[in-house]
Amino acid sequence: MEKRSAERLEVPLTALRDGETGIVTSIKAGYGRGLGRGWGFEKRLMDLGLTPGTRVTVVRSAPFHGPLEILVRGSRLALGRGMAERIFVEIEK
Amino acid sequence: MTKRKLVIALAGNANVGKSVIFNYLTGLHQHIGNWPGKTVERAEGTLHFKGYTIDIVDLPGIYSLSTYSLEELISRKYIAVERPDVVINVVDASVLERNLFFTLQLLELETPMLLALNQMDMAKRKGTEIDTKKLEKLLGIPVIPTVAIKGIGIFQLLEKAIEIIEKGPKAKHAELKYGEEVKERIAKLTKMIERLQFWYPARYVAIKLLEGDEEIEREVSRIDPQIVSTAKKLDDEIENLHGHSCSTVITSERYEAAGCIAREAQKLVSPIKPTIEEGLDIITTHKIMGYPIMAFSLLLMFYSIFTFGHIASELLSNFFYGLKPLFASLLGTGIVGKLVWGGVIEGVIAGVTIALPYIVPFYIILYFLEDLGYLSRVAFLMDSAMHKIGLHGKAFIPIMLGYGCNVPACLGCRIMETERERLLAAFVTTLVPCAARTVIILGLVGQFMGIQWALMLYVFDLLIIFILGRLAFRTLPEEPIALIMEMPDYRLPHLKTVLKQTWFRLVEFIKIAFPLIVAGSLALKLAEVLGLLEPIATLLSPVTVVWLGLPAITGITLMFGVLRKELTLIMLATLLGTTNFAQVLTPIQMVVFTLVAMFYIPCVATIAALVREFGWKKALFITLFEIVFAISLGGVALRLLALTA
Repeated sequence: MEKRSAERLEVPLTALRDGETGIVTSIKAGYGRGLGRGWGFEKRLMDLGLTPGTRVTVVRSAPFHGPLEILVRGSRLALGRGMAERIFVEIEK
Repeated sequence: MTKRKLVIALAGNANVGKSVIFNYLTGLHQHIGNWPGKTVERAEGTLHFKGYTIDIVDLPGIYSLSTYSLEELISRKYIAVERPDVVINVVDASVLERNLFFTLQLLELETPMLLALNQMDMAKRKGTEIDTKKLEKLLGIPVIPTVAIKGIGIFQLLEKAIEIIEKGPKAKHAELKYGEEVKERIAKLTKMIERLQFWYPARYVAIKLLEGDEEIEREVSRIDPQIVSTAKKLDDEIENLHGHSCSTVITSERYEAAGCIAREAQKLVSPIKPTIEEGLDIITTHKIMGYPIMAFSLLLMFYSIFTFGHIASELLSNFFYGLKPLFASLLGTGIVGKLVWGGVIEGVIAGVTIALPYIVPFYIILYFLEDLGYLSRVAFLMDSAMHKIGLHGKAFIPIMLGYGCNVPACLGCRIMETERERLLAAFVTTLVPCAARTVIILGLVGQFMGIQWALMLYVFDLLIIFILGRLAFRTLPEEPIALIMEMPDYRLPHLKTVLKQTWFRLVEFIKIAFPLIVAGSLALKLAEVLGLLEPIATLLSPVTVVWLGLPAITGITLMFGVLRKELTLIMLATLLGTTNFAQVLTPIQMVVFTLVAMFYIPCVATIAALVREFGWKKALFITLFEIVFAISLGGVALRLLALTA
C-alpha cells in the first residue's frame, strides 16, 4: 500500500501549491496547531476518501490562512488548514 | 387488494438530491420533527401508492455508517433496529466512487435496498456515462437512474421498491471482498458473534469491531467481553501485517472496492464544459474578488429583505390595526376587551408582522443560496475569520441569519457538528442585531444622530461579538473542531424544494415563538390594566435612572422589548408622547438606550429557541449573562461618553 523511496518527499498537504497533486501517505493525529484534533477526525477524513495511497489535488486555498479546497476521488472538499496540516502526502513529479 | 402500511427509508450522502426525491414522493404530506431526544432532524412523509400507505423517512445526509457523528449513529440504528421495509439509497452519479463507499456499508447491514442513481445528467456533463445494468450486477441490487429535479425516474423508483417488498429481495447482495488477511479475520469473528442475539447482522458486527467502533464494542462487551478482546488481538495482527491501523486498512479496502465497481460501470465520454458554473466557481472563491462579491451579495440580500420587510410589515400592521374598532365593538372596551386585544391579538399581530415580511423572504433567499451551492463558498471564505472565535466557517451561516432574526439563527446552529460548537455559535448569534434591533438602531440613533453613528454601533457590535465570542471559546471545555465540508457544484436550485423548506421553517418558527409572544403580551397587558407599570418603573429606576441616566419610563419600554425588541422604540414614542426623540432624549441617552436594547436580553422567542436546543439551564445562563452585560455596558458607555462631551 505504501511505497517509500529516497527521492520522494513526504510533506503536509498544506505545502502543496494550488493545482498540485500528491498521494496520501498517512494522517497524523495530534500533530499540528491544535485545531482539528476533534474526535475521530482521522476516521472522518478516511470516510471521505482520504485513505493512504489516494491521489489528492489542491484546487485552491483560501487567503488569511484559510481552508484548502481539495479534489479527492472525484469529489471536492473544503478542509480547515489545521486539519490539512496533518495529512501527509508524497508529491507526484 | 388489502391495505398495508409500508416504511421506506431514504439514505445517502449530503447534496445528492435526497430531499428533492423526498419532496416528489411525499408532496405536502410531510412532517419534520426531531429524532427522539436528539437534535437531529427527522423528516417523514406519507403517500398512497397501489393500495399501500407508505411512510417515507428521510435519513440525515451522511458519508459513512461509523460513530463519527450522531447522524450516522441514528441512521444505522434506525435501519438495523426499526427495519424499514426497503431502503432507497440515493446516489450522486457524478461522484460515484464516494457514494458507493456508503452503499457498500448499507449492503453490509443486509437490509433490502435499491439504488437511485441520481443526477445522471450532471454525470454526463462531467464526462461519465454509467451502465446501470452492469452496476446492478456488480452490487446485486436494483438500480434506477433518476434526474430528481426534473422528476425523472421517481415513479419507477417507487414501483421497484414495492416490487422488492412484495417479492422479497432477489438474492443475497454482493458481498464486499476484503483482502485475504482481513477476510479471514472477519469470518473468524463472525462465527463467534453468530451465537449472540444482536440487532446488527453478525458479519457487520465483526467488521465494526475490527474497525474499533465504540458503540458496538460497548454493546458486545456487555454480552461477551471475550469477543472484544479477540477482536483487539486480530486488530493488532492486521496492523502488524499492513503497517496501518486495522480501521485504516478496512476503510481503504472498502474504498478500493467502491472504486473498482465505479470504474467498471462507468464509461468515459467527452465532458460538456459547464463554463458558466465553472466561471462562477472561480470568481466566487477567488482570493481577492471572492470577498467583495460576498459582501455585495449579502448587502444586496439584506437591503432587499429590509426594504420589502419594512413595506410589507407596515401594510400588515395597518391592516390588523384597522380591525381594532371591529374588535372593540365585539368585545367592548372593558378589561376583557383590553386583555384580548392588547394581550392576545396584539401578540399575534406582533408575530405575524415579523414572521411574514422578514423571515419568509429571508428563508427563501437562504435556501436558494444553499441549493445553488453558494453558502458553502461563503463558509469557505469565512473559515479563518470564524476561527478567531473558535468556530469554523459553517458557523458564519447562522450568524448571518441572526441579522434577520435570532430564532431561526439559533435553530440554524444545528449545522455545527458538536454540542460545544452549537452552543458557542448560538451564543454569538444572540449578540447579532436582528431586524427588530435594526429598527431601533436606525430609528433612534440613525434618524436623530446621523447614519455614521448607527454604523459605528454596528461596528461596535462586531467588536463585542469578537471579544465575547473569544471569551466564551476560551471558557468552554474541549477543543474546537476544524472545517470538513463538501463543496458542491453550482446548480440551479429546485424552486419547489426551496419553498417547501421555507414553509417548514416558518411552521417551526410559529410553533416556538407565537405561544411565548402571546403569553408575554398577555402578562404585560395584565400588569398595565392592574396599574403595575408605574410601580415597576419606579422599582427599576435605580438601574434605569441612576446607573444608565435614562428617563424612568424606559424601564417599562425595556420590559416590553423582551417580547419584540422594536417595541422598545414604539413604546417609548407612546409613553413620551412624541416620535421626535430629539426633544426628550439627549444624544448620549440615545446611544445608551440603543446599546442596552441591543444586548440586554434575547427576546422571548429567542429564549424559547435556546431552551429547545440547549435546555433551561444554558438558556437561562445566556439570558442572565446578557442582562448583566448590557446594563454594565450601558452604564460604562454613559460615563465614558459624558467625559468626551
